[in-house]
Amino acid sequence: MKNITISIFAVITVFIAASCNQSSTKNNELSENNTTATSGEQAPSQSKVNDTVPLPATPDTSIGKNAGETATGGFSIAPIVADYLSLKNALVSDDANAAADAGKKLFATLNKVDMKTVPADNHKKYMDITDDIKENAEHIGDNAGKIDHQREHLASLSEDISDLITLFGSPQALYQDHCPMFNDGKGAIWLSESKAIKNPYYGSKMITCGMVEKTFN
Amino acid sequence: MSLTKKIILGLTIILIGIQFFQPLQNKSDEVTASHIEKVYAVPQNVKAVLVQSCYDCHSNNTHYPWYSRIQPGSWYMAQHIKKGKEELNFSNFGEYSPRKQRNKFRAMAGQVKDGEMPLSSYTLIHRNAVLSQEDKQVLVKWFGVMEDSIK
Repeated sequence: MKNITISIFAVITVFIAASCNQSSTKNNELSENNTTATSGEQAPSQSKVNDTVPLPATPDTSIGKNAGETATGGFSIAPIVADYLSLKNALVSDDANAAADAGKKLFATLNKVDMKTVPADNHKKYMDITDDIKENAEHIGDNAGKIDHQREHLASLSEDISDLITLFGSPQALYQDHCPMFNDGKGAIWLSESKAIKNPYYGSKMITCGMVEKTFN
Repeated sequence: MSLTKKIILGLTIILIGIQFFQPLQNKSDEVTASHIEKVYAVPQNVKAVLVQSCYDCHSNNTHYPWYSRIQPGSWYMAQHIKKGKEELNFSNFGEYSPRKQRNKFRAMAGQVKDGEMPLSSYTLIHRNAVLSQEDKQVLVKWFGVMEDSIK
């Protein structure tokens, strides 16, 4: 009997030790995954931005670029807008998985922004807006199976992006479109690189529903 | 003693053993200055629903029923509460930027309307946290009013 008690005591100790270790290694794994995800995505996003930014601005490249990049140099919302547009386009084509990937990429892009380059006078506003963008991007990234939920977050996200553009200028020609039906008739906006209406809130169900409300650039 | 008996005895003792390892409880008597009830006038009927179905995981003060102290359930619950408070904490609501508050109200309305919140894994045990149709309407309406009031 004494042996059994000892062995049981040993089992309990092992169990507790194991469960403690498990939680700490889990945390380590998590943070490692995060860093690899960010660094893995760094390269393609950078090159993609370089590819896409000059494209739409053929006639007025200089104006478009200067509006996006402010005088402080180095700071540009162009990568953020580019990631938003690919997210939005994924939802236009009803692709929840692509939208989730784009959400994760947007989240990573925001984390890469060097805070010191953000113009000081707009620093607080920038923080408020981007905190919200991060949260929305994270939720869209985590909900690959729930496109309706992703679209709810797109509504908030689009307002954030619109405010960001109003604050720092648009890096490219953009259209702000309005969908009057979404959110039980409360309506929602989105930003698009093309003048033709392609509704990301309903996708193929009502692809041409909506109207251009504002033009940037 | 047969092997099966030993295993059963061992498991029982492990179960009893882990009861002594309780996570810290999410409890605080202090109502923070940034608590939603301090920064906004919350109507009585709304407050009743929030207390009943939301505060357990979305505030600094969880009401623990006796069975929530049984391990390993309380570890699981502690994880739930941690995640819930990260997403939304009514005790710190006043610290959120107006933008975040507005979006939280919108998201809350959406989650309640779609039946996503309270989580089904939570209402499975906490039956009194289940929202009735009327509760849902009360919440969604108030969330909508609040969303529109913050500009």
